[in-house]
Amino acid sequence: MKKAKFAKFCTVILLLSSSPLISVAAETAGLDYERARWHPIHFKPAIDSATNEQCLECHQAILDRKVKEQSPAGVKATNALAWYQTLDVYQGEQETFHRRHLVTPMAKQLMNLQCNFCHQGHDPREEAPIPPTTKASFTLRKMVNPETTCLKCHGKYDYKVMGLPGPWTENGKLFNNNCMICHQAIRTNRHQVTYLNAEAIEKAGQENSDTCYGCHGGRQWYRISYPYPRHPWPGQAPVVPDWAKDRPTESEARFRK
Amino acid sequence: MSETQSSPLKIIRDAIKRHKRETYTPVVPDVQFGFVHNNVDCIGCRACEIACKDKNGLNPGPRFRRVQYIEGGTFPEVYAYKLNMSCNHCAEPACLPTCPTGAIFKRKDNGVVDIDSTLCIGCRRCEAACPYGAPQFDPSDGLVKKCNMCIDELEAGRKPYCVMACMMRVLDIGPIDQIRAGAYQTKAIGPGETTVRAVKNLANPELTNPSIAFVPHNKGRVEEDSQQEEN
Repeated sequence: MKKAKFAKFCTVILLLSSSPLISVAAETAGLDYERARWHPIHFKPAIDSATNEQCLECHQAILDRKVKEQSPAGVKATNALAWYQTLDVYQGEQETFHRRHLVTPMAKQLMNLQCNFCHQGHDPREEAPIPPTTKASFTLRKMVNPETTCLKCHGKYDYKVMGLPGPWTENGKLFNNNCMICHQAIRTNRHQVTYLNAEAIEKAGQENSDTCYGCHGGRQWYRISYPYPRHPWPGQAPVVPDWAKDRPTESEARFRK
Repeated sequence: MSETQSSPLKIIRDAIKRHKRETYTPVVPDVQFGFVHNNVDCIGCRACEIACKDKNGLNPGPRFRRVQYIEGGTFPEVYAYKLNMSCNHCAEPACLPTCPTGAIFKRKDNGVVDIDSTLCIGCRRCEAACPYGAPQFDPSDGLVKKCNMCIDELEAGRKPYCVMACMMRVLDIGPIDQIRAGAYQTKAIGPGETTVRAVKNLANPELTNPSIAFVPHNKGRVEEDSQQEEN
């Protein structure tokens, strides 16, 4: 009996792993929220191959939700200024976090994020990896690990490593606020990952460096930067500087093109 | 009033835009208060969670404080311990600069990261930015709420409800630098015990410098020097 149950479980997992066409909504129809949370697509390995369409069958609300027009005390969203609205390259009203990363015009132009880029499994019961491990894809009380997701684009602007005398906000004028003055030649092999539209990013960066600033180094809220893989670029110095000695030279396998 | 080229409102808005675009200077409190939790002696009764929900009038769903049961091993070498976190009132909170309305703020006197949810427009950016799952979205009114260390209790000279409800005395608050230095008198830290900044699977404390200390279980311990690798 146990073997039969195990075989059935494995079949579900294999089907979910191999076919992106399975309708999770159909499989969970009739289940309440608490039961549906335990569908195998929410866990590894099935979540690794889950498509956005599959996720949105049940979670469409995250894209439908809008920022409230005003707070209970009467603060209007149109009178409040989100950080990204200070960028020259951002047009429009405030949007929710998910919409700005998935469906707004800028997101569609520059990004190719999938739900499972951030959401790589979870434990609905304890909100903690059980047993504790060093290889979990989420952290305590979080459904994602910000260090391996958010930080990939939004880490602290590491001006020291870049050889600048201070933060970009203080020294940008020295470079005419143009990232491409240096990056036309330095570290030109970049953004070559599946979750970004590299060509569109390069084009947008050439047109206006505010596009670069928006992701890298804007009003950063994490104290550390991300150790970007150091892909060789034409003319790269053969000597690896001390700060880069332990850096990877390739992106994670799941994001390589 | 319409916004003409030089109207006061326009000048103010432009100044805010310029300031917001360029700077975020974290508040440095006079004293940074933080939590300490003994992972080993906690029995997971969740009295702290219930006291918190009661005090803050929370519906099922949002939980400012969360007790987590961590288990592992194979028979006969099995183990279990508890982790207990609410807002960690970080030294450099990630939630604060994400807030477009200024609803989240850090108090200068005790470092408490507080929220005025009446200013919240429910964009949920703070929820995404916090590495420790502290801001809680309440679907009943579409607002984000969070632990403020029971600031009203603190200002009245008492401790937060969660601490007062802890029958094992494994949860406490105090000046975080004194807690870390072992100089703070508390029953949460037993004789001979020391605290750590991080335990297994806590998001990297280097992200925001959370004001929390743990008395770790042996199986939850992260060696300081391998912390980067562990996370």
